[in-house]
Amino acid sequence: MVESGGCSAKISPRQLEEFLKYLPLPEDPNILVDIDTHDDAGVYRVNDELALVFTTDFFPPVCSDPYEFGQIAAANSISDVYAMGGTPVIALNIMMFPSSKLPMEAYAEILKGGSDIAAEAGLRIIGGHTIDDYPPKYGLAVIGYIHPGKIIKNSGARPGDVLIITKPLGTGVILAAQRLKIASADDADQAKNLMKMLNKSGSEIMNKFKIIGATDITGFGLAGHALKMAKASNVSMTFNLSGIPLIGSTYKLVDEGCIPGASFRNLDFVENDTCFTADLNYNLKMIAMDAQTSGGLLMCVRPEISDQVISELQKAGLSHSAIIGKVTGKKDKYLYLQE
Amino acid sequence: MQIIDTSGEQCPAPLIATKRALKEALAGDSFQVITDNQTSFSNISRFLSDNNTEFAYETTNGIWTLTITKGNTGILNTNPEKYCTTEIPHFSHGDFVIAFTSDKMGEGDEELGHLLIGNFINAVKDLDILPDKIVFYNKGVTLGSENSPVIDQLKEIEKMGVTLLLCATCVKYYSLEEKIKIGTFSNMFEITQALAGASHVLRP
Repeated sequence: MVESGGCSAKISPRQLEEFLKYLPLPEDPNILVDIDTHDDAGVYRVNDELALVFTTDFFPPVCSDPYEFGQIAAANSISDVYAMGGTPVIALNIMMFPSSKLPMEAYAEILKGGSDIAAEAGLRIIGGHTIDDYPPKYGLAVIGYIHPGKIIKNSGARPGDVLIITKPLGTGVILAAQRLKIASADDADQAKNLMKMLNKSGSEIMNKFKIIGATDITGFGLAGHALKMAKASNVSMTFNLSGIPLIGSTYKLVDEGCIPGASFRNLDFVENDTCFTADLNYNLKMIAMDAQTSGGLLMCVRPEISDQVISELQKAGLSHSAIIGKVTGKKDKYLYLQE
Repeated sequence: MQIIDTSGEQCPAPLIATKRALKEALAGDSFQVITDNQTSFSNISRFLSDNNTEFAYETTNGIWTLTITKGNTGILNTNPEKYCTTEIPHFSHGDFVIAFTSDKMGEGDEELGHLLIGNFINAVKDLDILPDKIVFYNKGVTLGSENSPVIDQLKEIEKMGVTLLLCATCVKYYSLEEKIKIGTFSNMFEITQALAGASHVLRP
């Protein structure tokens, strides 16, 4: 199977923002979250106890094994529900598959991968739709349950919060390196395992600690998603990039010039709202722009409970979890990236 | 001259090839990179500009040829200070000049004067047409020191592409050489030229 994109196959965030401006937002008091706040998923209130989190995501293959591709695409699709603190309940498969170019076994393998990850999430896939198209694309449209009063939003960042990341960065770099056959097998395996990993335990820990601001890091990179959060919350965020956990040889690959195109698109998107400090290393800067596929959560946590949160995350198997920055009152720029 | 043909290669392979060649080249050496891919072309250009590396390019029939010259500034490290002050192209500039001759605005109560000058500088930031230059002399230079309450706003104005000139004699007089965080130190000739060449001068 040809590998191409993952979340880096997204259209440019800047273009997207431009087009979305012209779409009228539906007005309904039961719409609790929509694209207006740049959130990960839409939320619709059913009654005082129940709201639905609704999201979709699909992309072309990120690895050559169809089963693994199905797993990764499914974990990525479900992630938005977890990022908002919801519980995934039902889903539909979305598939584009070239039946004349690829063996139908691959089709079955992709669906099997998706279904296995769905099972792990407690999610029931109850239908779907396939179009004949090349290259293949796969993902889910997912509905989750959430309490209308307990939605974790992009707008929930408060000055004083520390920023915790739950997975190391670098999937965009490693995937690009893999396409060029310059990624080591270890790095490729580590990236694949991370992409298959659900944000389920991270989400449960957020609920346990009553965290109200978070997002998942996907195609717009750490900086892009942080910017969306900072804007929605009207705060600024400072990141210490040298403390960010990275997958294997991500730094070395970036230093060799392995900077995927999506990173430049993300840089275009954030740079007017970002201050890069004078001594900021160029490689670290571009790593903050790296498009993640099925990336981790970025959560805003009160400093007094941050140690507890980190220790719970690590206990739950998210061993790379770390504090990588802090939220401040709104300054000139939304983002401050320093070494 | 070395020619690296990356035709047919997708992003980021052309960038990797460019960076490798830059690492191997000696200062002053030139080489060419060829790509048939618009995205790769724009990413390489962006990378080179970000890293203060000089280049020229030609394009014919969907083939881009970049001629890159390795600079003297040694390794491929960014000069992000410069990067941070990169002009943001969509601001339009007039041909007027603002002269700050004091750290306050107008005559009268001192505290009010400081407050007003802050408000004035904020308003300058939001002008539809920005000044061509801003000059600072006498007590005006203190606005550009690190302790100045308006230093962040002035940095922002500088990033918008406005030239800030500070009278070097004045900076020395107030012993602020180490503390000035904006603009360039200038002489009376340059400042006079700026004032004389302006369509009009605002003196708050």
